[in-house]
Amino acid sequence: MRSVADMPRPSLSWKQSWHIARRDLHTRLIGLRLLFVCLFLGVAMLGAIGSLTFAVTNEISARGQTILGGDIQIEMSQREASSADKDLFSELGDLSETIRMRAMARRAVGTGDANGPNTVLTELKGVDNAYPLFGTLQLQDGTYVAPLADDAVIIGKALSERLSLNPGDRVFYGEAEFLIKDIIVDEPDRVGEGFTLGPVAIVSMEGLRRTGLIQPGSLFKSKYRIRLAPGEDAVALRKRIEAQYASSGWDINDRENAAPGTSRFLGRMGQFLSLIGLTALAVAGIGVNNGIKSYLSLRQRSIATFKILGATSADITRIYFLQIGFVSIIAITLGVLTGALTVPLILAVAGDVLPVRPGFALYPLPLITSMAYGALIAFIFAAPPLARAKRESGAALLRATTSAPLRRLDRQTLTRIGFAIFTLFALIVFGERNIIFSLWVIGAILAVLLLLLALGAATRWAAHKVPRPRHPLLRLALTNLYRPGAQTTALVVALGLALTLFVTLAGIQTSLSNEMKNRVPDRAPDLFVLDVPSYEGDRLRAVVNNEAADAELNIVPALRGTVVSYGGRRVTDREDIPGDAFLLRGERGVTYSATLPEGSELIKGEWWAADYAGPLLVSLDAEQAEVLNLDVGDMLTVSVLGREMQARIASLRRINWDTMGFNYVMVFSPSGLANAPHSLTATITLNGDNKGQVARSLLAGFPNVPVIETSEILNKVRSLLEQMSAAIVAAASITILAGIAVLIGAISASRQMRSYDSIILKTLGATRRQILVTQALEYGLIAAVLAIISLLLGMTAAWFVIIQVFEFGWAPDWGIVLATLLGGATITLGIGLVSSLSLMALRPAQALQRV
Amino acid sequence: MHMLSDDRSDIIVRARNIRLTLGSAQAPVEILKGLDLDIARGESVAVLGASGSGKSSLMAVLSGLEQASGGEVNVAGFDFGALDEDALAIARRGHVGIILQAFHLLPTMTALENVAVPLELAGHEQAFDRASKELAAVGLGHRLSHYPSQLSGGEQQRVAIARAMAPDPEIIFADEPTGNLDGKTSELISDLLLKRQKETEATLMLITHDRALAERCDRVIEIVDGRILNAQRG
Repeated sequence: MRSVADMPRPSLSWKQSWHIARRDLHTRLIGLRLLFVCLFLGVAMLGAIGSLTFAVTNEISARGQTILGGDIQIEMSQREASSADKDLFSELGDLSETIRMRAMARRAVGTGDANGPNTVLTELKGVDNAYPLFGTLQLQDGTYVAPLADDAVIIGKALSERLSLNPGDRVFYGEAEFLIKDIIVDEPDRVGEGFTLGPVAIVSMEGLRRTGLIQPGSLFKSKYRIRLAPGEDAVALRKRIEAQYASSGWDINDRENAAPGTSRFLGRMGQFLSLIGLTALAVAGIGVNNGIKSYLSLRQRSIATFKILGATSADITRIYFLQIGFVSIIAITLGVLTGALTVPLILAVAGDVLPVRPGFALYPLPLITSMAYGALIAFIFAAPPLARAKRESGAALLRATTSAPLRRLDRQTLTRIGFAIFTLFALIVFGERNIIFSLWVIGAILAVLLLLLALGAATRWAAHKVPRPRHPLLRLALTNLYRPGAQTTALVVALGLALTLFVTLAGIQTSLSNEMKNRVPDRAPDLFVLDVPSYEGDRLRAVVNNEAADAELNIVPALRGTVVSYGGRRVTDREDIPGDAFLLRGERGVTYSATLPEGSELIKGEWWAADYAGPLLVSLDAEQAEVLNLDVGDMLTVSVLGREMQARIASLRRINWDTMGFNYVMVFSPSGLANAPHSLTATITLNGDNKGQVARSLLAGFPNVPVIETSEILNKVRSLLEQMSAAIVAAASITILAGIAVLIGAISASRQMRSYDSIILKTLGATRRQILVTQALEYGLIAAVLAIISLLLGMTAAWFVIIQVFEFGWAPDWGIVLATLLGGATITLGIGLVSSLSLMALRPAQALQRV
Repeated sequence: MHMLSDDRSDIIVRARNIRLTLGSAQAPVEILKGLDLDIARGESVAVLGASGSGKSSLMAVLSGLEQASGGEVNVAGFDFGALDEDALAIARRGHVGIILQAFHLLPTMTALENVAVPLELAGHEQAFDRASKELAAVGLGHRLSHYPSQLSGGEQQRVAIARAMAPDPEIIFADEPTGNLDGKTSELISDLLLKRQKETEATLMLITHDRALAERCDRVIEIVDGRILNAQRG
């Protein structure tokens, strides 16, 4: 008896398999186009997002010196450095001093547009002759060269536009008049200055002192930038200064971390967009699975023929793995290159929205990561149909069967898929900076995917159980939803995921926007007044009462302080600082009060007596106390105006941020801070429509004091939100495109079945219009199911984010949400109908010969 | 037992009590109901039977495309009952050639490439040279680079014959090789098949409806309802 084991080379080599695979692969990739498109889209998007995030954050890192304005920056609030401190700074390297504060610009009479505003809130910046240490200050008429005359000012473009001012015009700041010398085109350290409420205006240091705005207790920031000798380690020096001068209350940054807030925001944004990209890739995976199933089903007879000719399952696996792998590699490579090359386009479209404009470069890490994601998704979704196809029997040709029964996957395939999923998961979680956030989003995506799978199956079940309609066309449309081979579940998952994402974004965006537009103005004060000298509180009250006796006026002292120690240990000695401990991130606003501030609810401990004069006490925000593991009775040390002040935590408060007023995380007893130099800030809530009049009276009475209308802040925030939304919607659009690719693939896969139906219907007397109506009904049913599912899931997710995460009010714009749904449903129906047009042209006589 | 064997001692197919049951556990269908058959080396055997009689299933079992539900199947020295699907595929290489009614050429490969595939699977060094010669032997030496869609039905079947015979198999199974062809082409294909069988001294098992073709074979077997009804000399 012969043995198979005696026979030579039971399996084809990879090289031989490739020779056969290449010959068997159609030159036009018929059957593998869906695989190509889905992988291309998903990888291109991830490559673009990854490359853009890398480019921007790298640019910020690379331009750290320019953005920071030095190799090291030492910052303090409400005071300038002493002479001794300045001498110390000068010993470290070349020193440049700037002072920055909010101030009202007043156009001189006879300048600008008489019908326009007279004043505008700006960021006034005083610079010394060494500024800028790095980079150049670009002006309309050239590059800035120091010194700036003491009566000269150079203004930002936005300020020029708001007050209709040009070079040669005059403007007032405080008590001083300035001549506008030029318009700023690019401020080299703009990104490093952080979030600003108004356009910038730059004067000399002496010019700033002429304004009279620098007073004890005024809210201003002094920044001391130092250029070190070449080769000197800025990070090490920063750490040394922090350790040596820990009690000074200085905020110290180095060039490696020039714009921490901006970097953090960009990192989070990039992370969020990447996770949306992964959602798109998940949808693409469904497309990959469908595409390969469809392809291998077309190849069923060829596979059976190979088996007849002596190919083993391993041979079949290798041949088709190589084909699928070949197309996948091309799709992934083209996708990642497209993603990388799209970055300059995105930068051009984004314009000034992004803080920096990096040059074009290829960043290997995000590109390799995107390729890895694409390869893993391709493998995870291609392995199951490939594993089933290899078990196609040669006898199937003899029995002339057209579809193999669904088989369970073998253990080896399941193990490989499991390993790939684990690798993908690990890559996502450990590749992102915020692991917890990533886990949450992945969990949400998986939960939605599983829910959609269940809903897809439920849709099929429901279509099966619904009483059969009398009308034959409607009956056919309904039965097509659950017949063997129907793509209903795949479509519900792919399109459902994409549409749900869109509805979620629409719900969140419109709810936030409505909150900003309608509810915030109702609850927020109408006016904020900053930097009122501490002795002018009564006069402020009088001015407001004179214009609006029924106005709610809330005046609070304003200081800046840095937490330097808590729980018995200095912050600089700690390595275990929680990520959400924003209280420890540099200087915070602090205040003192004899009574419990409005908007706060005492939840633990006791408030001090109104006339309390004992050791310093502090009332802390309960949430931050929990983050820092602090409780009533614990000690906290804060550096205010360079002095360390130790306070005992007397109480914990729950802050109602909804009041939109001045809510302070740390409120001290008056005993320690009342005599320190400080200013007052106030909120004014009006009952009438007299905001303009009140603001004018305030400006007239306090010309040096910034008066901010809430609407200005809201406009700025709304603008930021709109920009963020645009980016997120653009990213989410790729998910829709992937979903459309899946839809087209599903239509293609079912084409034979639909052709058959159309031929038979025509043979039995149906008109072309009736056939089109059947298709419209079927796709209409799918579109309706998608719309309902997406509405429910999407709005539930949006509600959760708005109510539970942001703790805002729920106020979506249902018109926009429904329009989004309608758009998605229309696209589904439209594509389905367009694809059905070719069925109209089928001639029964010809087609029946081939069926 | 319906077993007809002549006195030749070299039996290439020995089947005993072959049973084949298909369908689900809830609704099994017994296709072959205890068949015995011997085929001698070099013999040509025609199998006649109505549609659904089990003749294609018999061929599937004897060619190793289907596992019998019961009984013994020995073909070209291999105990098919002891082999799994992959082992059966390996066993077919170089030993079993199969020709089907619908040709089943690989649509994305040329005639030459189609014929070369079984040779490549069997590990032949000069697969394409051999394939070229085989195609010349069936009169298609001028059609090497044509795709199946560019060939007539008769030409496609000739390629299928060349593909089946290229590895020099010991036994050829042909299931209705002329079923999709017109009368004149059927005759040409029948002549070619029998001629190549004689030239190569391969054993041939031929399933057909055509009694005239059947009688050109050494032996005719009739299957009715999963059993061999009778056997007679062709």
